[in-house]
Amino acid sequence: MADPIKPDQILDLKGLLCPMPVVKLSMAVKKLQAGQTIEGIATDPGVMADIPAWARTSGNELLSIEQQGKEYHFIVKKTA
Amino acid sequence: MADNTAVSKALQVLERQLNRPLMAALQVCARCGVCAEACHYYVADGELEHVPAYRAEELRKVYRRKHDFFGKHLPNWVNAQDLDEATLEKMAEMAFSECTLCRRCTFNCPMGVDTPLMMRALRAMATASGKAPEILEMLADAAIEKGKDPAMFRDLFVAQVAEMEKELQALVGDPNARITVEREGARVLYVALAGAHTILPPAAIFWAAKEDWTLSIYEAANYGVFLGDTARAKTIASRIIDEAKALKVQEVIVAECGHACASLVWDAPIWFQEQFPFRVRSLVEVMAEYVQQGRLPLDPSANPEAITYHDSCNLARTSGIYREPRVILNAVTTNLREMTPNGLENYCCGGGGGLVALPEYDDKRMKAGKPKVDQIRKTGAEIVVAACENCRLQLGDLNAHYSMNVQITALADLVVKAMRLPKSVAVPLPNAAAVAVGE
Repeated sequence: MADPIKPDQILDLKGLLCPMPVVKLSMAVKKLQAGQTIEGIATDPGVMADIPAWARTSGNELLSIEQQGKEYHFIVKKTA
Repeated sequence: MADNTAVSKALQVLERQLNRPLMAALQVCARCGVCAEACHYYVADGELEHVPAYRAEELRKVYRRKHDFFGKHLPNWVNAQDLDEATLEKMAEMAFSECTLCRRCTFNCPMGVDTPLMMRALRAMATASGKAPEILEMLADAAIEKGKDPAMFRDLFVAQVAEMEKELQALVGDPNARITVEREGARVLYVALAGAHTILPPAAIFWAAKEDWTLSIYEAANYGVFLGDTARAKTIASRIIDEAKALKVQEVIVAECGHACASLVWDAPIWFQEQFPFRVRSLVEVMAEYVQQGRLPLDPSANPEAITYHDSCNLARTSGIYREPRVILNAVTTNLREMTPNGLENYCCGGGGGLVALPEYDDKRMKAGKPKVDQIRKTGAEIVVAACENCRLQLGDLNAHYSMNVQITALADLVVKAMRLPKSVAVPLPNAAAVAVGE
């Protein structure tokens, strides 16, 4: 089993409603260096579809996304 | 010339946008200044550049340079101006951050000049020339990407809805209460926003009204509208329209969201040059109809707090939906306190036109929202109700920024709280106070 990814930054998106999780993630990713990772933790279930779509359009890599109880955790790697 | 690519693209878009309403707006202004006090930006700080006529004049200068006889040959006489890249950037910022397209100036203009129409044209020019806010483009593109392959998220969405269905059953006390997804032949297709907070309360209301409804897999929000980008806006709207046609529904009901409702009701038939085989209404109109038809078991004493209603500009001014919220509120509350002015003359909250999604303009947004804060404070309300997601996000930010100490909620949340549901159990509504009902 692969080691869990240790993100370079954690982004608390709990309580935020669409579109703010994607907006805040996008802003945070801009500040990262290429290759760095960020873990977002949200409570809006809409992120399960929105974040993969955002990753495809922005060109960043979505390493994982999963539901943990009432929270949604995802890890994004900045590609460029 | 080096800067001509962006400028020429912007000018091409202006030429394409020039229909009769836009030409009329660009040619008519009595310079009376009535629009100044109509604009929440001007009311907030009294700056000249926040007079709607001043904003309009920025685009009119460019228009006159090409379309006015004197503007072509003696531009200085009529204050006509060539467009350059620096001016385009300044105008783009103005159109996206200093006008929320609320149309209060239009309603108060003795000539009916549609300044927001000009600002929409400017937004389209900015988008085509790469000067639009990056975040709005990103949100529109992400929505388009998401809709390209519904199979990617449909199963996940259905699973999430199945969880919500259990909450609905507990809330209404009926193990047979259902939330179906894309059920062919349903009378109504309900289009929500992302998240459970715009699905669960309406589901309880549909259940109580015995509505034959099903849930769309798409979101009602349309960021292409904010960009003034008809191509993107059409792509986003087409998913819902195609879905409604495929399911053969009679009616599409849009969640409590101002721009989503206005764009599907008013813009989409023009974009597609088509009369759709279904009706499109806001959830607000439908809830009011249920109330008037006596289809909801309501007890207004469940909402005894001092409550005020903020009219969304897109619902009240663009769509004429300002009586319906009062029909609902009078049936589900006991202490309604109106803002002054309200309804068609209500001030924008300052978050419209997509501004609430643009963190780079947070300071301007908080400043422009001050007239709304003053309006709310004068009512003494403990709860502010808004039937628009953008408004609720902005009101929430204003609440924190100005320490208003109020609760922000949706109309449907109050309706559910007022519904007499004898066998139900306490279920916390998403983004709302816990609803404890039952006997």
